Amino acid sequence: MKNFSVLNQLVAVVVLGALLTTAAAAPPKRIFVTNEKDNTVSVIDGTTNTVVATIEIGARPRGIGIAPDGSEVYVAISEDNAIAVFDPETFEVLRQFEGGHDPETFAVHPNGNLYISNEDDAKASVFNPKTGEKLAEIKVGIEPEGVAISPDGSKVIVTSESTNMLHVIAVPEHKIINNILVGARPRAATFNRAGTLAYATSEISGEVKKVDIESGTIIGKMPLADDKAKPKDILLSIDESKLFVAGGRANSIFVLDANTLEIHKKIPVGKRVWGLALSRDGSRLYTTDGVSNQVSVIDTNITEVIATVPVGKFPWGVAVYE
Amino acid sequence: MYYLNRLLSGLCCVAILGLTIDSRALSAEEITVLYIGDADSAAHLGARQGLTEANAQGEFMGIQYRLVSQTEIGEMPTVPVAIITDVDASRLVQLADQYQYLPLFNLTAKDLSLREDCIPNLFHVGPSEAMLRDAERQWRQHAPDSSARARAWHRSFRKYAAAQLNIRFKEQFKLAMDDDAWAGWAAMKLLADTMVRQPSLAGEQLIAELKTNLAFDGQKGRDMGFRETGQLRQPLLLVEMDKIIGEAPVRGVVDSSDLDSLGLPFCPK
Repeated sequence: MKNFSVLNQLVAVVVLGALLTTAAAAPPKRIFVTNEKDNTVSVIDGTTNTVVATIEIGARPRGIGIAPDGSEVYVAISEDNAIAVFDPETFEVLRQFEGGHDPETFAVHPNGNLYISNEDDAKASVFNPKTGEKLAEIKVGIEPEGVAISPDGSKVIVTSESTNMLHVIAVPEHKIINNILVGARPRAATFNRAGTLAYATSEISGEVKKVDIESGTIIGKMPLADDKAKPKDILLSIDESKLFVAGGRANSIFVLDANTLEIHKKIPVGKRVWGLALSRDGSRLYTTDGVSNQVSVIDTNITEVIATVPVGKFPWGVAVYE
Repeated sequence: MYYLNRLLSGLCCVAILGLTIDSRALSAEEITVLYIGDADSAAHLGARQGLTEANAQGEFMGIQYRLVSQTEIGEMPTVPVAIITDVDASRLVQLADQYQYLPLFNLTAKDLSLREDCIPNLFHVGPSEAMLRDAERQWRQHAPDSSARARAWHRSFRKYAAAQLNIRFKEQFKLAMDDDAWAGWAAMKLLADTMVRQPSLAGEQLIAELKTNLAFDGQKGRDMGFRETGQLRQPLLLVEMDKIIGEAPVRGVVDSSDLDSLGLPFCPK
């Protein structure tokens, strides 16, 4: 318990520091966006919010993530059954490796490994992206989709869309330690910084659930009260006070109180918004508005869109490179 | 039969009193579902697909489902929690009366009269004739020259993860999933999805839960629940020349989110 409170204080100091520097913070260097129907990645300049390059990446690019040291960017090219790797400075495609059948979403572990959901195989797989070696396979429910990793790397959540579950997997054992039933078609999840809580979206039941990881119980639930809301990505603000939820066909970002799950605001963005990414300082939120072929840039302090950036066809995933 | 009925009503009363602990704890790990109909039908294969997927979920929660298939109700080793049927309307009414403490899922009988009767334990998973007609009418309004027919499912359906379900069915049975197979899958899946959350549910409590609290993902892009008529609300597909050309409720003709624009929304007064 003592350690825990020390950790909390430490976190508080870090958060305060981040808040104080927000105003003066430089915008992120680049934002990378996968375009599902263009087979490309759009490169957005973080200062001008314009596309400065387009990378030919492979068939049906969806999930995207950056190596912890920033040296490489990974893209799930689903119809090539592979993960493509490119250089975030030169935009050169370096290599690709087999990512299991139809890789869609993945998350990058602090140790550099990728945790990938393989939709048609009911499995999650672990890859070393440097060697392309598959390190482990974990049997999960039907149609695994979202992958979230606790900040300390000790736990991974995989959502099974057709089995309506969050599977909590211990690392490095790669054993499932909890299966948590949630609403229909869970698509994405995110941990709090301490790794004690997770928040998950369910697309078909149109709701957000808050989960206690230790006990595996649901401790909060909020329907998005919009029949068109088919929520996908979900992120916690840097100060952990707010949740940002991509509302799908509600064409909005929902801003929720992370504690009570009360809905504070709906920020209108483009059509069928799915992907979300935050800048490192938390001041900017980037959204992929799939059917509008654009990315919206949101100032998280005023919770308003400050720019929209036309990108390729059906933008899906987004990652911020600082 | 008499014995079975007594057992069922006994179970039901125990459940009503809330004394569910002992009676269900023994059987909590294994849940039996009875299937009445032709074992070679697409509907039955669909139910078996649903069983596979129910068990994929149950495995993580310590629950196992069994599907006992019979053409007519005979000897049963265990009391089933529900009956899934591929029989005609008159047989359905008989069964519903005989087993009124069990939810009965109708997969294939499309008669409007069955919905109008509002039999409390009867759940219609496939669409009614009236729903199909309304979908076609909406489509005619949208495209008056079209000869499209309304369907519950199609093997080429891809959106909303329909592609994944089509792949899974084809992998298991080497056959394309059709409307009846979808209904069989949906019945088993929605039952398991309800039971996995409250394994002690049985009898009238289970019937009430299905009727009021269902938000089922039938892999057609919408959450589905049962109407008071017992009909599963669902979007339908418009198919012409064996191709999907639209979805109902038809956008622009009605509010596309209004699933009750298809068929009979309420019990006749």
